[in-house]
Amino acid sequence: MTPALSVQGFTLDYTTRHGTRRVLDGVDLVIAPDEVVGLVGESGSGKTSLAWAIMRHLPRNAHEVAGHILLGVTDLRAAGPRAVNALRGRRMGMVFQDPSTALNPTLTIGRQVTEVLTYHRGLSGAAAWHAAVDALRHVHLREAEALMRRYPHQISGGEKQRVVIATAFACQPELIIFDEPTSALDVITGARILALFAELRRQTGVAALYISHDLALVSRVADRVAVLRDGKVVEEAAADTVFRAPHHDYTRRLVDAVPRPERRLVFDAPGEGSLLRAEKIAVRYARRRLFRAAAPPATHDIGFAIRPGEILGVVGESGSGKSSLARALTGLAAFSGGIQFAGRTIAGPRDMDRDYRRAVQIVFQHPDASLNPRQTIGQILSRPLRLYGGDPRSVPALLEQARLPADYARRHPHQLSGGEKQRVAVARAFAARPRLVICDEITAPLDVSVQASIIALLLALREAHDTAYLFITHDLNLVRQIAHRVAVMRAGEMVDLLPTEALSGAATHPYTRELIAATPVPAGT
Amino acid sequence: MTDTLHRLLRTPQGMLGLVLLFVLLLACVFGPTLAPYDPDAIDFLGRFAVPGARHILGADQLGRDVFSRLLAGARATVPLALAATLLGAAAGAVIGTLSAYLGGLWDEAIMRTVDAVMAIPGLLLALLLVSTFGGGALNAALAIGIAFAPGMARVTRSVALTARQADYVSAAIARGESGGWIVLREMLPNVAAPVIIEATIRVAFAVMLFSTLSFLGLGAQPPLAEWGLMVSEARPFLHQAPWVIVVPCCAIALTAVSFNLLGDGLRDALNPRDEQ
Repeated sequence: MTPALSVQGFTLDYTTRHGTRRVLDGVDLVIAPDEVVGLVGESGSGKTSLAWAIMRHLPRNAHEVAGHILLGVTDLRAAGPRAVNALRGRRMGMVFQDPSTALNPTLTIGRQVTEVLTYHRGLSGAAAWHAAVDALRHVHLREAEALMRRYPHQISGGEKQRVVIATAFACQPELIIFDEPTSALDVITGARILALFAELRRQTGVAALYISHDLALVSRVADRVAVLRDGKVVEEAAADTVFRAPHHDYTRRLVDAVPRPERRLVFDAPGEGSLLRAEKIAVRYARRRLFRAAAPPATHDIGFAIRPGEILGVVGESGSGKSSLARALTGLAAFSGGIQFAGRTIAGPRDMDRDYRRAVQIVFQHPDASLNPRQTIGQILSRPLRLYGGDPRSVPALLEQARLPADYARRHPHQLSGGEKQRVAVARAFAARPRLVICDEITAPLDVSVQASIIALLLALREAHDTAYLFITHDLNLVRQIAHRVAVMRAGEMVDLLPTEALSGAATHPYTRELIAATPVPAGT
Repeated sequence: MTDTLHRLLRTPQGMLGLVLLFVLLLACVFGPTLAPYDPDAIDFLGRFAVPGARHILGADQLGRDVFSRLLAGARATVPLALAATLLGAAAGAVIGTLSAYLGGLWDEAIMRTVDAVMAIPGLLLALLLVSTFGGGALNAALAIGIAFAPGMARVTRSVALTARQADYVSAAIARGESGGWIVLREMLPNVAAPVIIEATIRVAFAVMLFSTLSFLGLGAQPPLAEWGLMVSEARPFLHQAPWVIVVPCCAIALTAVSFNLLGDGLRDALNPRDEQ
């Protein structure tokens, strides 16, 4: 039987200012009809380049050195621009990572879905319209007729991804490439998209290449998994074997780095008393304007206490108010309510004195944004030392504590990798000798192996300084590994606050149970 | 820094702009030494001499050598235009960044004031200021700087607003840094690139504005060999001796063009997205 897609010895170079860089090196990949192959790799491993090579949309500085890409029996590398245009959308489709940028904001949903149908299936007018409505119904979008007339910004992220999927499936292609289709969505919406994908797959028997950095997720979606590292396929096996019996060293490291809720990393109990107590914290962003009513608050009257040395996990989907809570506690957002700290009540950012700011530090999600690109690492680290009366000469010690070489002090942030930058951000927080560090999704943009090393660093620092963490994340598996207690947030409210062991019990909020059910559990457990 | 220069030299506009500016720099530094005649020497017999072997670019109504006056005049024109632009750019950048940092009502107050000042055309504002402070080259430069500041403030603010949202500014606020530190040390270096580009384009305007003020008799005073003044003085003899007015006009235009080219080149060279 002819495979739906076969990539043979494909080698790809990028020409940059600093010379030629090999992105893909002799990649072999075969996808049979009706098969889903997962492609797993960390950032920079070349997985997206492979997707674009298959879709024939490579950047201008790409240079194909060797190999073949066959879609069925068609040689894609030999196809001219006109032939490729006829293939895209008709015989192969693509679903992108971020649905909010994959749809054109100035066209209605109807226009964007019917466009594919008119172009590839030759439908026109009412026929195309009806086919588009059918396609949207097929991906379980309610009120498809009304949706056709809306613009992308008027529908939710999950709905947008369904529209993109409907468009990709509209012409019954032979192959669909999914490029991390759920990573921009929150856990529950992502789980529903995956259920939809499984259903469409059963109905249409489409072959798919599913690209992701998330091994746990891929092992549940795909039949076979190929592991890509530095442009080479290092391992290819059935999905559950990859997890249970990884062959290659690299795969084993990846599998070990995947957070598993049952493997605890923290064993001690937190201290007694309370370090910081938040009382009825409500954050409101936009104040009432002349012609506009006030926006609803980002958090409603949240109250909790953190014990010394405790790790309190905060989970919830995007927009649930997790980050607003962090911003209130660090004085970045105005809030009502009070914070009890060191025997006094803080009613607003103005009450936060130097002692409070020193004791409560924050690490942000994106190290690219939180480190000033125009300052050297040394300048960045010495600033809190000067501000809070530390010794500026202890920068090398800080770097060593964060397991970074001392000569990094002279470098600029853009010369460091993502994980190294996040270590610098952690080191900056610890330069203030804090008692509480707020970690706002600090591992979200990082690869699993880097994520695991950052977590190890945080736990080591906690061991040495007895620091408490407010650990904000959307990764329930990770939080169950390290947190003493977990707070679940939804639409600005804290719906649950319980010890981690009680999370899987019955006495939880329905939303918490839904969240746990939607979280992908690593295969082989 | 050397990297930026390297990238600048690779763009054709930047290369050409730099070469022209280098010539201009030579004229500013060595102008009077290179001049074949004393720029102010009057020669009644040689009035309106046609460009030729004796006077390369001809002579004016008083028989002064136009080429010598052009070389000597570079010093009176270009440095002051540069100073005026630097003053306007620095003031505008600080005001714009401060406005973006303060936000809310302060932002509204500062930007509406800026809008009000911008409603007055640059030349009119400069005229207004010069007639208030009194004429003279330095006052003209000051007036041009003040007239430029609102535009620069607008440009800077739009860039600074994105920097204001960046986490490194949040981190500085959470650390308890002072407002001055955040504006000057955290935000300003990150908005510098567009400010530099905008400023190089504005140097050209400054040269023209400065020439215009001199032409109107409010900038440099005769008998100084300032380019705008040369145009102004040659005007009555336009039909009799067109070279006397055309030559300084070309010099002004060429200066404007070379700064514009440098600005275009810098825009490409300072764009971080061109890293690859």
